[in-house]
Amino acid sequence: MTERTGDSPDVERLLVSFAPRVYGLLLRMVGRPDVAEDLMQETLLRAFRSMGTYRPEGKFRAWIFRIAVNLARDWIRRRPRQRAFALGDDGDETSPPLTPAADSPPDADTLRRERARWVEQALARLPNADREVLLMRYYGDLTFKTIAQATGEPLGTVLARAHRALKKLGDMFPGESHEPMP
Amino acid sequence: MNRCPDNTEWVLYATGEVPLRRRRALASHLEGCQACHREVQAIERGLAALETLDREPPVRPQALEMLRKRLSVAAARKAARPGVLARVYPYRWAAAAAVIIAVALAYALVPSTDRPQSVPGGTQAARMDEAQFEEEIAEISTEIEMLELGALATLWEGGNGSNGTVPESINGESRRPWDNFGREISVPG
Repeated sequence: MTERTGDSPDVERLLVSFAPRVYGLLLRMVGRPDVAEDLMQETLLRAFRSMGTYRPEGKFRAWIFRIAVNLARDWIRRRPRQRAFALGDDGDETSPPLTPAADSPPDADTLRRERARWVEQALARLPNADREVLLMRYYGDLTFKTIAQATGEPLGTVLARAHRALKKLGDMFPGESHEPMP
Repeated sequence: MNRCPDNTEWVLYATGEVPLRRRRALASHLEGCQACHREVQAIERGLAALETLDREPPVRPQALEMLRKRLSVAAARKAARPGVLARVYPYRWAAAAAVIIAVALAYALVPSTDRPQSVPGGTQAARMDEAQFEEEIAEISTEIEMLELGALATLWEGGNGSNGTVPESINGESRRPWDNFGREISVPG
């Protein structure tokens, strides 16, 4: 996907089109829908206001998600106890594998929702830096190389975080099978 | 490939971010390496778990509407507040005239300073000037002293010179100028 930054209405439309994904990333980072909404608006407004500082050689999308991650980090730093998923940030605690309860036969939709909820909780157990990498990859459709460029971190560091986070998620969900990310 | 690749490379492999040639090499390694195979499976399970999340979760329409309004306000402000050059542009001729007048005034009002002319062989010339200057100073000093002595002599004559208030000589020189006339007067160096 290529993004062009031209006239103001086009830019506004483009930014609004990012809203759901930015909101998704923020929701998984801060754990509160109201805060995620506020931060999503703030992210896209900041992107609009500082459009002049955007470097065309970078990916516009990566730039937006970088703003979102920074805002979420600031919010978490200021109000760490407000996180809905405040389950500890060390990521060392191991939880038993989360599997659906067998006594109630769920339909596919319920099962999917439940599984998503477990994944959210598992994500919340990850260290912030590891979680950020996965969320930028997933919601921003960014390659790890692009994430490294956007965050200014070495590719090796980004990959190490992704590896650690994915392994933990994988250990929590032993029965999952993977379809390649789009 | 005999050596197991770094685990982080399996992340790139599982997410499809490895170049094709490298991907083939990694795949061939996977066929014979159980440890790496387990590693890749764990990573893929993690990716699959991630896929269960809604990639575009619904945003409340009110929040989207609020976002649109805030963006419109920001756009209006941006349009109403053009950059410095855009603001100056309508007055560009007046600004240019003001600059020209300011430069002309500065040129007219600031006094010009005469710089010393450079002299060929400047150091030698400066030494000669200094010697000449000292000579002139010595002559002027002599004249001043003569005048002073003349004035003192007049005073001495007028006061009969016998009351002892004026000495006969100072430092071996007579206070009467005519006594000293023709003597060499030392000029302090």
